[in-house]
This record gives sequence, structure tokens and C-alpha cells, in this order.
Amino acid sequence: MAASIKHELFFPHPPAAVWEYLTNAELMELWLMKSDFQPVLGHEFQFRIGPKPALDFDGIVYCKVLEIVPFKKLSYSWKLGPGDGTLNVDSVVRWELQPKDNGTELILDHGNFVILENMGMFNAMTEGWLSNMRKMAARLNDITHGTTNA
Amino acid sequence: MAQPTLDAFQVIADPSRRQMLMLLSKESRTINNLADNFDMSRPAVSKHIKILYGAGFISIQDIGRERHCTLKQDGFNALHEWLKYFDQFWTAKLKNLENLLNNKLPN
Repeated sequence: MAASIKHELFFPHPPAAVWEYLTNAELMELWLMKSDFQPVLGHEFQFRIGPKPALDFDGIVYCKVLEIVPFKKLSYSWKLGPGDGTLNVDSVVRWELQPKDNGTELILDHGNFVILENMGMFNAMTEGWLSNMRKMAARLNDITHGTTNA
Repeated sequence: MAQPTLDAFQVIADPSRRQMLMLLSKESRTINNLADNFDMSRPAVSKHIKILYGAGFISIQDIGRERHCTLKQDGFNALHEWLKYFDQFWTAKLKNLENLLNNKLPN
């Protein structure tokens, strides 16, 4: 299973109309969630979604605009953690808009998952795991020792 | 004694259990052999083993009088929990967007 989430949707509206809904915080709130998003490269913002204790997630998503090409492309980092100041998931959300048949093909790609901290193991798992177990063991050892020495 | 059901993330959050998984990643070991690597009581080791077993991280086989622990892949499918979680998240959100755009905006 590829560590990426992909969705493709067609809208019978021009890219500019769809773009508005991806980049205007008031419109985003109508379908996505409340945020302090601004369509500015490097802008940092947060989304608040439901906490998920089972996944050690406090419900706050930390984002930063990584790429913005009006009416065509938008991407932001998507990081989250348990709420103690550490992060355990780092990923990237990419939106792409393509004009098609008098409408817009909207492509969402949520990928580049890096599972940090004690989730390092799981990250290794996605790429064929037994061979990675040894590398991972070394890495975890480093982490363990780092903590002990702190 | 009943063990609380922990998900894979809770299971792996414990340093001793991570250490056990690392030891088992090199080779299968008996519970006694595993316990020798830890400065904790035998019941405490057993408790961790039960949790690892319960979450599908290891399998246990009785050979003679010894119980052998072997690493299993099932427990590691938890990364997929994140992907599943966000996949469901986006599916629901994009449905909202679709309804919003296609019902409210004139073509």
C-alpha cells in the first residue's frame, strides 16, 4: 500500500471558482474547517479537527503553505502530534486543479508521510519491513540513548 | 488477569516493548531469554509479552517446556490506520465540497 492518499473530483465550474473554495478561509470553513489560512507562501496556519487519542493525536494540524500557483496548485505541510509539543506525523497535502471539459478536475494528494519519534518503526514498515528492521533498530537505539542522556 | 486492549500505537509507545520488538527482530527468543535482557520482574515481562501478543506484534509457540516468541507483521499495519483515518477524513470533506459547489454555485 502506497503511503499516499489520492482523490480526484470533477467540478462543472472553472478553476477560479474551485480555487476560491481552497484558498478563502471563510469558504474553506464551509466544507473543510475553520482555520487562519492565508494564500501566502510560507504562511503558517492551523486546522482543528477531532482529537484521536487512539492515534495519539490531539486534533490540531499544523500547516505551512509550501507552494502556491493561483488557480493551479496549492500545497501545505500537514503535521500533528499528541499535544505535548512534539510532532509524530509529518506529511504534505497537495491540491492540483486542471481545466477539463468546461470544468475543473481537482486532484488531492496527501502524502510524504513521515512518522516521527516513537512512530519511526511504522515508517520503516511501509517499505518492506524485515530488511528495514535492522536499520530501524539502530535508529531506535539512538533515540533511546538520546532520551536517556537528556 | 485481563489485559487492557491497547492499539498498536499505545503498544509501541512503551520503551520496554520497543526493546523487546527489536530483540525479536534479530531472532526468535524464548520468554525466559527475553526476560534476561530486562531489569524487571518476570510478571512485568509477561505483562508486556501479553500486550505484544494481544496486539498482533508477536506470536507465541510452545516448544517443549519453553515458550518461543516470534515477530509477526500484523501489528505493524497500524501505519495504515493513519492513512485510513485521513482517507476517510478527506472523503467526507470532499463530499462537502462537492455538495457545496454543485448545489450552490450556478454552472
